[in-house]
Amino acid sequence: MPKLWENLRTYLKKEKLMTLSHFLVMGITFLVLGIFINVIVLSQTMLRYLEEQAQITVFFKDEFGEDRIIPFRDQLVSDERVAEVTYVSKEDALRIFKEINEDQPVLLESISASVLPASIEIKTMDISDLEALSNELGQKEGVEEVRFYKDVIERFRTVSNTVYIVGAVLVVIFFVISYSVIVSSLRTAINSRGSELEVMKLVGASDPYVKKPFIYQGVFFSVTSALAASVLTILLDFGLSKWDVFSKGFSFGFLPGVFISPVIFSLILSLILVISGFLLGYFGSNAAVKKYLKY
Amino acid sequence: MSQIEFKNITKEYITDVKVLDDVSFSIEKGEFVFIIGPSGAGKSTVIKLLLREEPLESGEIIFDGKNISEILPEEMPEYRRKIGVVFQDYKLLDSKTVYDNVAIALEVVVADKEEIKTVVPNVLSLVGLLDHAEYYPKELSGGEKQRVAIARALAHEPDILVADEATGMIDPDSADEIVEILEKINSLGTTVIMASHDQRIVDKLTKRVIKIEKGKLVSDKKGGKYHA
Repeated sequence: MPKLWENLRTYLKKEKLMTLSHFLVMGITFLVLGIFINVIVLSQTMLRYLEEQAQITVFFKDEFGEDRIIPFRDQLVSDERVAEVTYVSKEDALRIFKEINEDQPVLLESISASVLPASIEIKTMDISDLEALSNELGQKEGVEEVRFYKDVIERFRTVSNTVYIVGAVLVVIFFVISYSVIVSSLRTAINSRGSELEVMKLVGASDPYVKKPFIYQGVFFSVTSALAASVLTILLDFGLSKWDVFSKGFSFGFLPGVFISPVIFSLILSLILVISGFLLGYFGSNAAVKKYLKY
Repeated sequence: MSQIEFKNITKEYITDVKVLDDVSFSIEKGEFVFIIGPSGAGKSTVIKLLLREEPLESGEIIFDGKNISEILPEEMPEYRRKIGVVFQDYKLLDSKTVYDNVAIALEVVVADKEEIKTVVPNVLSLVGLLDHAEYYPKELSGGEKQRVAIARALAHEPDILVADEATGMIDPDSADEIVEILEKINSLGTTVIMASHDQRIVDKLTKRVIKIEKGKLVSDKKGGKYHA
């Protein structure tokens, strides 16, 4: 190990420009990969937040009084598809109306609680249940109108699925690009030491002896670059956490209903980047040095 | 049993262009053999085939009773260590000192540091460069560089020392010194195979001479001369 470390230090000192270019190329690649994963998770989180706002509003007829609406609400609470039910009485509706229209006193004077309908706002566990529930509620006694913004919700879902699938494919493509970048970057380093490898093979060096310094070098470059990229992504997510952009945290497409803090997410992402760095460095340097190992 | 046997060797780099055409000869242990011929005759190809740097089209090369085509890739490093090689262009590492250039031959077999400290000065002393151990190749003359290459080839005590045009890039006096060293190594029991087109050296030593022309073995004489 000390000999390998000494060889690496000698290389770093001797090939300053090449070292810098390796770090820049690999660092930028990992950073782009990290930012890309971040963008996917952020878009998923945004869509999750938007989806959570999706709801059904049931307006009741005036003759359907609070004594009948409350049991109606309680029945909905026990429905396993329902996540949240909020009763908005005529008085609540007036208060909300006044808050929204506080700058229009003439309008407010002409409105009283009796003209506004009582309603129930319903959120479901899964937005795909909204439509069925909306249809069911429309048939119930005392219901004047059911409002459900189907088009908006469908669009949310389409965008969410598209971002998730396209994002996953692009992350895989980016991994392949990262692998190619690392292999070509290491191959440049190996080619610059071609005569040394030739001499090593000439004097009977075994494959592991020839390979080891390059694998060590490849892993060092890619893990260090991944670490640098990780620090930047942690800073980005730390900023999002500090500004409280997503109060509940980040969400993942494949884990509905699960939210984690941006800082914890960035630490997980960093771990993924560093492990990817190690694997890409290890397999990349193995592939890069392969052509020098043929007897 | 001969140490090396070339049996009906044919080699083509381009289809139907034979660099070696049905060449056969054998070399006994402890022999000093010149392989001569004009440039492009196939001398270097003989050495490349012996080192298994190139595949064969037909024929067999037997080394110590074993067909070298049957050597497995994982056995190749051990096989290569049995053959010390010296090239016309030295193949030294400019970034390493004379000592380190020789030590690399031992480091690749993970030799003990103490062993390296004993062996390297010994081989440098054999080629007369012990006092140049801390020099870098760029500080040496052509003859001295070739002597470092010989020291490196000798570091793991090979059974055979192969010199491919080892005197091709150096002045006559230095060439004589190189040949003297090779004779000394040969007198210690190591087989020496020297590919050369240096008539003066070949005629001076009167060793066994294998002549190759246009890929064919045209003569094989003990105590031979370049044009004999």
